[in-house]
Amino acid sequence: MPRFFKLFCLFAALFMIGQAASAQTNKYKCMVQMSNYMGDGAYVVISLINSKGAYEKTLYVLGSDKKWYNSLKEWHKFYKAKPTNINAITGASVTGGDRSVNVIELEQSKINAGYKIRFESAVEDKKYNVSDVEVPLTTEGLSAKTEGTGYIRHVRFSAN
Amino acid sequence: MTISIWRYSHLALAVSSFLLLTLLSITGIILAFEPISQKTQPFGVNGFSQITLAKSLPALRKAYPDISELTVDANQFVKIKATDTNGKNLDAFVDPLSGKVLGTTPKENDLFETVRSLHRSLFLHEVGRAIIGVTAFLLMLITTSGIALIIQRQRGIRHFFKRIVRDSFAQYYHVVLGRLSLIPILIIAISGTYLSLARFDIFDIKKNSIKVDFDNIKSTPVRKATEISVFKNTKLSEVESVEFPFSEDVEDYYTIKLKDREIAVNQITGDILSEVVYPKAVVYSNLSLDLHTGRTSIVWALVLAVAAANILFFIYSGFAITLKRRANRVDNKFKANESNVIILIGSENGSTYRFAKAVHQQLLKQGQRSFITELNNYTIFPKAEHLIIITATYGLGNAPTNAAKFFNLLKKYPQGQNINYSVLGFGSHAYPDFCQFAFEINNFLSQQTWAKPLIDVHTVNDRSPQEFELWAEAWSQQSGLIIEASADLKMPQKHKLKSFTVSSNTATGTEDGAFSVRLKTKRLQKVTSGDLLAIYPANDNRERLYSIGVIDNEIQLSVRLHEHGLGSGFLHRLTVGQKMQARIVYNKHFHFPAKSPEVVMISNGTGIAPFLGMINQNKANVPCHLYCGFRHSHSVDNYKAVLNQGKAAGKLQHLRVALSREGNKQYVSDLIARDPDFMVNVLSTKGTIMICGSLAMQRDVMDVLEGICKTKTGKGISYYQSHNQILTDCY
Repeated sequence: MPRFFKLFCLFAALFMIGQAASAQTNKYKCMVQMSNYMGDGAYVVISLINSKGAYEKTLYVLGSDKKWYNSLKEWHKFYKAKPTNINAITGASVTGGDRSVNVIELEQSKINAGYKIRFESAVEDKKYNVSDVEVPLTTEGLSAKTEGTGYIRHVRFSAN
Repeated sequence: MTISIWRYSHLALAVSSFLLLTLLSITGIILAFEPISQKTQPFGVNGFSQITLAKSLPALRKAYPDISELTVDANQFVKIKATDTNGKNLDAFVDPLSGKVLGTTPKENDLFETVRSLHRSLFLHEVGRAIIGVTAFLLMLITTSGIALIIQRQRGIRHFFKRIVRDSFAQYYHVVLGRLSLIPILIIAISGTYLSLARFDIFDIKKNSIKVDFDNIKSTPVRKATEISVFKNTKLSEVESVEFPFSEDVEDYYTIKLKDREIAVNQITGDILSEVVYPKAVVYSNLSLDLHTGRTSIVWALVLAVAAANILFFIYSGFAITLKRRANRVDNKFKANESNVIILIGSENGSTYRFAKAVHQQLLKQGQRSFITELNNYTIFPKAEHLIIITATYGLGNAPTNAAKFFNLLKKYPQGQNINYSVLGFGSHAYPDFCQFAFEINNFLSQQTWAKPLIDVHTVNDRSPQEFELWAEAWSQQSGLIIEASADLKMPQKHKLKSFTVSSNTATGTEDGAFSVRLKTKRLQKVTSGDLLAIYPANDNRERLYSIGVIDNEIQLSVRLHEHGLGSGFLHRLTVGQKMQARIVYNKHFHFPAKSPEVVMISNGTGIAPFLGMINQNKANVPCHLYCGFRHSHSVDNYKAVLNQGKAAGKLQHLRVALSREGNKQYVSDLIARDPDFMVNVLSTKGTIMICGSLAMQRDVMDVLEGICKTKTGKGISYYQSHNQILTDCY
């Protein structure tokens, strides 16, 4: 019996892990429209922030040269402490007046659960914005246009 | 002098920026290969220039329903951002008509990325960019001053691409490559400067954002994307990027960015919702980027690479020239006021210094107190016995920079004692005003009471060692101080002597001691009238020069016997059949002019020697007019036979004789003064006046000619001298 129990436990554990891994996710198109600032391309990182205001997950990084990542100071602390593979969610930096449309994945369970999506931005030799835009991760938040405070003019989402 | 301002600024600018320019050139060469490596990628499509937005946009939107952006890069490759069938981000080059993926966006090459960062900011961010911007601006100034220098050197913009005189490897290619690549380099410098200024917000390159009036957006009439007129009228090649509507909502629109404007297009009706024209500065910035990077054309990228490589060569050759010029500076052992030989130099780029220094060193070795300096340092030289002026000519017969003040100084400081002077001009027949400045100095000095001509003005074409030697020999002979040109100028030490046989000698002579010696030699064809014969009467280094007249294939020397004369005594003693050793000195500047329509020959005494030969050799019967001066009528008898023979054969048109001790007691210059219109006519029809004889006679004749020319043609005599229309060979 003990052997059977062990085997059962193992299966149960595997099942639960599989369940967690395949947690319900939805894809969204996310548009970042930049304002007409002067200067080089902006590095923008899109992160999921939990209800305590802490970083929970990196959703997308606009800017591919790792040597500039430390200019996104707050996020870089989080990223350095818990490095993850972000190759698949990295795009090019965006220059003033341009826009960037990318697909991000959001877990269904995080919506309307007190989470926020933060857009953090930095430009070489210019001001760094910890929170250029923050969009509450709610159904309304995802359907509205949210104005930015730094290099970003506004961001929009649409279900993919 | 504007010349020196240009040169000093050219040098100062180069010195101040050469380190950075070296770095920028090397990195620039590497970066030029980026567009070349990109353009060879297979992401292009045929007939690209014909594709309109109306053909491409609907097709791409059909293939990729959520396409967000299309960009046309500098290589005319079309890149899109969309999601693929698996919902993944797609960032790839596509065929703009079918949407077929041609390749994914390659990662930026790290090498190019690093090199570019070094090239534009030295890894120093804003500070670095400012430094680079200043360097680009300096390069612009260097190029501009370089253009000015070439224009000066070539005497005006019209001769910009004419032949350049070769001084040395560095100098020659500095100029030759300079004028070939200065246009690309100027473009690099201007565009680089512009990009830097733009970077620091000097120009208004702020693009206004599109403002769309959402209250007035219409959703009718519905038009197919293929029917929208602005799409039909816009080609992909004119487009920088297209942002597709974010959703199908009427409030989302197409944003089309063209080179000079941005337009918003209603995705349903095709109306133009808004249009923003970019400031001109944006267009210039893009143009600057195209020109500076060569991103639009492989050929231009290669031109830029070559131009950047040339900058490296200019840095090398520029310093080589400067160092050579500086090496020419000399230290004087003696002070100006204690020296007996003064060497004055007029030189623009220092090449004449080499010759002047050789003379200076030799004089010092012989224990002479020689002082060498620039013409501009002319002052009172209380102990001077000899004045040697060695000068080049710059521009249109102008003084070199370091000689510009000479004439004023000469007027200001008359010397207290008599000084023997000799002027040696350096120049090149490639320029029309050959040694004009040297002729001017010589003429000007001849008018100073204290200045005594030791020998006639000499010229050296293209730094010919032979011509320099000619001067050195003449000067040594008259001054008694030996200058061996060979020692420092790498010429054969020993001259090869030829054997000559005396065929006649009229040594019985006339009262004033004039006589003629005729010599025969094998292979006479290399000798012509006007050349000189160098003889060594005592078989030592003492050399004497005599003008040659070639008559009936024999060399005829016309000599006057001087008391204790080394050379004339030797010649006087020669008997028929005797053999002697001598050397022919090629004296090209006093040959019978090949193309002259008319020739006036002026001589006194034995100066008639070369003319006798020239008349004899005048087979083409070019009109020749001989004005000769003698002391007595019987002096002429010596030459009567040859002259009459010439007249009879049409080789000599007129003969005018002045006798200074008989009859009217005229000098040959009086004969010239009698025929002013004739002289002017000869000169203005490109004829030639040749003068041979004593320096005193030459001075008188030149004074007369100067007066005639100044009043009748308005041009000084030095103009005709520098154009080889007045040739002199006096002693």
